[in-house]
Amino acid sequence: MDIVLLQAIINGVLLGGLYAAYSAGFSLVFGVMGVVNLAHGEMVMLGAFASYWMFELYGLDPYLCLPLSATLLFAFGYLVQRLLINRMMGRPHIMSYLLTFGIHLIVANTAVKLWTHDFRTVTTAYSGSNISLMGLTLPSARLVTFGLALAVVAALWFYLNHTENGRAIKATAMDKETARLMGVPIHHIYALTFGIGAAATGLAGASLSPITVIYPEMGLEYTITAFCVVVLGGMGYMPGVLCGGLILGVTQSLATTYATAGISMAMSFFILFVMLLVRPKGVLGRGLAA
Amino acid sequence: MEISRKVLRPVLAFFLVVALLPCIIDSDYLVRFSAAILLWIGMAGCWNLMSGYTGYIDFGPVVYFGIGAYITGISMSQYGWAFPAALALSAFVGVLVALPMGAVTLRLKGAYFAIATFAFAETLKQIILEFDRTFGVSFFQGSHGITLPLTAHDNTFFYYWIMAVTTLVTVAHLYIEGSRFGYGLKAVKDSEKGAQSLGVNTFAVKLGAYLTSAGFLSIFGGIEAYWISYITPADVFHVHKTVQMVIMTLLGGMGTLAGPAVGASFLTIISEILGETFVEYYLILVGAIVVLVVMLLPEGLMGAYRDIRRRTGAGPKRRGGRKP
Amino acid sequence: MRIPGWDEDKLLECRNLTKTFGALRAVDDVSFALWKGEILGIIGPNGAGKTTLFNLITGELKPDKGRVLYRDRDLTALPPFRIVRAGIAKTSQILEPLKSLTVLENVLVAATHGGGLGLKKGRDRAWTVLERVHLTSAAFLPPSSLSVLHRRRLELARALATGARLLLLDENMAGLSASEVAETLDLLRTLNASGVSFILVEHVMQAVTGVCQRLVVLDLGKKITDGVPQDVMAHPKVLEAYLGDADLTDGKDPDAPSGGIS
Repeated sequence: MDIVLLQAIINGVLLGGLYAAYSAGFSLVFGVMGVVNLAHGEMVMLGAFASYWMFELYGLDPYLCLPLSATLLFAFGYLVQRLLINRMMGRPHIMSYLLTFGIHLIVANTAVKLWTHDFRTVTTAYSGSNISLMGLTLPSARLVTFGLALAVVAALWFYLNHTENGRAIKATAMDKETARLMGVPIHHIYALTFGIGAAATGLAGASLSPITVIYPEMGLEYTITAFCVVVLGGMGYMPGVLCGGLILGVTQSLATTYATAGISMAMSFFILFVMLLVRPKGVLGRGLAA
Repeated sequence: MEISRKVLRPVLAFFLVVALLPCIIDSDYLVRFSAAILLWIGMAGCWNLMSGYTGYIDFGPVVYFGIGAYITGISMSQYGWAFPAALALSAFVGVLVALPMGAVTLRLKGAYFAIATFAFAETLKQIILEFDRTFGVSFFQGSHGITLPLTAHDNTFFYYWIMAVTTLVTVAHLYIEGSRFGYGLKAVKDSEKGAQSLGVNTFAVKLGAYLTSAGFLSIFGGIEAYWISYITPADVFHVHKTVQMVIMTLLGGMGTLAGPAVGASFLTIISEILGETFVEYYLILVGAIVVLVVMLLPEGLMGAYRDIRRRTGAGPKRRGGRKP
Repeated sequence: MRIPGWDEDKLLECRNLTKTFGALRAVDDVSFALWKGEILGIIGPNGAGKTTLFNLITGELKPDKGRVLYRDRDLTALPPFRIVRAGIAKTSQILEPLKSLTVLENVLVAATHGGGLGLKKGRDRAWTVLERVHLTSAAFLPPSSLSVLHRRRLELARALATGARLLLLDENMAGLSASEVAETLDLLRTLNASGVSFILVEHVMQAVTGVCQRLVVLDLGKKITDGVPQDVMAHPKVLEAYLGDADLTDGKDPDAPSGGIS
């Protein structure tokens, strides 16, 4: 096989892992509450900045920061859901998009005020390091993120299917009223779900800091990519996130290698658009359709 | 079409004031600023025509603004068309694109419609950015943008053009408020299934609203292109234009006649006060307004106004028409 | 499309209608006809497929097999609004008026869109219909302020305003008191006398035996029998079907699956 093609596919797979890592939380929140969280990218940004500042100020390794980012974002997500979004449940869906869009504007622009428009990077000892294998290059930090994506998706899957709280979340997603009658504290469960989604997203954000530039306005792009990934894989279906991430990552990588980065952007939106029209339940057909 | 006098009088009064304004004020800055307000009233109105009345949240209306800007730009700069002809072509192309787009996306519901419209707008922006480089031609000029023939007209000229189109958008609102078509749209918003069971061709009324909105937005895009005389994909397809339309309408009150005008005036004035230097503060403030409106005034300022009138005993309107 | 050999006295005919949901045969090869001016009742225990059958006729569901014929036209699988315009309207079991419109506007939508009238003529018809169902005093109220009885009448008014010649009533009398049922039955008889035909899905036996000229009995999606009420109610298969289902007054069909996550 052509080495350029092989390298492009490998890059795509690694990119796809990264996409999956920060899209899992988006899928979870949509699947349980039907909320399209337009402030999703801001949680990636906050996770990345938490890790950046820990590194800048205390020299802490970004990967050691993962639990911290996750905890901070859990608290953020829990409170946002508890105080704001919970009040939107049962109202038309537009209200929840608008609300999360308002949160996006507040968080992103407050971050600009605090941290300016500057692009920042976290440069660690292993930042540029690669593993070479039969003429192929594997950036080590991306490999770690890929592993992390698998872990996040597996953990969420396990949590939803094999724990008490997870089963309560699933029950709530399937039938809110019955769950309420069974004594499930809906508002707490919603807040918990959003918190967990935010924690997974913050974790992914922190793991991004060694491999990509971070800046306050990065969020929207991540929200959009998460959309694509989750629509491809099927809304609310955890393993679909991996699948969607891989499809998108490989497509973009191939388009970038053989055409331009701009075409690759156009391709991803085009794929998203076509998927919505022809297969809204995702490629595996296991997601939720509107 | 039936319009009650109670509605028609304030609308006529408003447009009379608007029409006379440039004769009264003697400041180019104020004319320019008023034109900007009118433009936003018209654009928010376009969004309201579609999303406010049907409840289908369009997150990509800017695509038609962008199409209009590019059609006007290219036909004027490369083919030497006159401005009105370029606008007519813009409207035509806008509707032509909206026809298949609406036909496929309006089958989607809720978040899926919103995401699909957004994705379409971003796709087209990227295509225009990359088109020339990909096909080795010189047509859209990619990120370099297009420079239109320099205009000899002053701001008053554009003021009246914008006013004319905004008036047409308002007429479309009046038509919706008092016609069979408008009742169809309102029925769709309440319950699409319910509307179908009463014989409403829901697809046709949704598409009608979508096309109207797209056509007017294309004209606005064309006017702005000639006005600022330099366009790039990043500017005319910018997602913030969509956001402004959505938020202005939401603030004023979705699915109401005066909502877009109230919301657009309010936000444009605030934006002008905070200016370019405090653009982050403006965006933070807009974010806070959105959160507050959604939490406290879900029907916008007009909805709140209606509630107050109702509570102070102004009495319910005899909506639907008197007994013959 | 004209159907050859159509009997002019026949208003509606369902031929071999079948609808499955996964392994469940909700409606299984059901055929019956309705004559002009007739009031037909469809009865059966819970989950017999009555509501599904209605939805197949109104176009909300597409049949896997079979045809719906109305006045020598084939309406099978047309979109619901076309079926309404053709002349078949339905009142819903779950009351879903358009909540942001007034009672009058609700009826007006039906008259202008379903009935194809202009705004002016539509308004005249809306008022006429509201008069017939005794709802004129509520014309300018929001539907949410109506009592259950009045909401059911609004459903009826909306269906009538479309100008339909055949009305499908899905449990239009559930939850009403005996006197309210009697009142509604009187109304149906008056409307019937003016030329409107009805198909009723009803659990209220007073209604079934009171107005229906003929009954079709469904069980587990299949038609067991049809005929005049007295004969049908004495049919051994009918008794058997109903024996396991003592509660004849509560008729909910299983809900469609909602959201979920995995």
